[in-house]
Amino acid sequence: MWQWFYRMGSPKWFYEMSGKWLPWLYVLMTVLMSVGIVWALLFVPQDYQQGNTIRIMYVHVPVASISLACFPLMAVAGVITLVWKMKLADMVAKCAAPIGAWFTAVALATGAIWGQPIWGTWWAWDARLTSMLIQFFLLIGVIALRSAIESPDDSARASALLAIVGAINVPIIKYSVEWWNTLHQPASNFSMDNESAFGPEIWVPLVIMIFAVYCFFVISLILSTRNEILRRERRAQWVQDIVAGEKV
Amino acid sequence: MLDNIQFSSVSEFFQMGKYTFHVWSVYGLFALFVFVNLFLPRVQRRQFIREQRQRALRDVQLAQNTAVNEERSRAQGEGE
Repeated sequence: MWQWFYRMGSPKWFYEMSGKWLPWLYVLMTVLMSVGIVWALLFVPQDYQQGNTIRIMYVHVPVASISLACFPLMAVAGVITLVWKMKLADMVAKCAAPIGAWFTAVALATGAIWGQPIWGTWWAWDARLTSMLIQFFLLIGVIALRSAIESPDDSARASALLAIVGAINVPIIKYSVEWWNTLHQPASNFSMDNESAFGPEIWVPLVIMIFAVYCFFVISLILSTRNEILRRERRAQWVQDIVAGEKV
Repeated sequence: MLDNIQFSSVSEFFQMGKYTFHVWSVYGLFALFVFVNLFLPRVQRRQFIREQRQRALRDVQLAQNTAVNEERSRAQGEGE
């Protein structure tokens, strides 16, 4: 078990393994995303109140829910960095922050475009929207903190701490729609009944899109972590072999 | 299955009822987001490899120059 744990912490091992995973993840993402998008755009019935804006849900909900995975991921990586000083964990945490900021920004933007016709406003200081905006600023904070501290060890430790503290915001975002009864609607309950307002014909494509966007998140995290590994290990012989051997 | 398509014509599909801008801007933004996040790491990787090669080349040239200079000064020293 410990041997496995330590081997997994080796950047070289991760680089080699992730190279094998990537093609499969690409295939999975392409299939899921094609099915999900075609289903959402062509086959999902119009909502009796929202009309075609219901199709926005199939982008907004997956992106927003996966943006919430970012802080817990960075917090776990932060604990591993602080306790075991595993280099790979810090690289993953570093790469997750900008990707999480992208996801949060896209969730906010698509939410605004959806809110405009449905709520009649692009933005409101609603609990869900505000806590998402806070997550965005926290992620910018993590990125800024890391680049502001010069010593790599110190900046790894500081951003690990901020990630752990910032993860407190995640349950606040998650339950904001239940704790404060404001504009944003709570999560709908999946129903197996086809006649229900949220039956399988609505949620099956949503689940497909959630998995598709998860694949996309994992792929982009792997791609940028691989770049980070190459940068930090550039003096290692195996990286120099890659540099010498690759066509560019 | 094709009977379940919610639109009766292509133009109706592109129009999305009253919500042409809202639906398509969200999907356009999503497409851009996916494309940039998958494409940018590839550009950065190529950039890194190019930089490292240039650095390796510079190191080799530097080493050669030093060797040549040492050779020259040794030759001069013997000539005197």
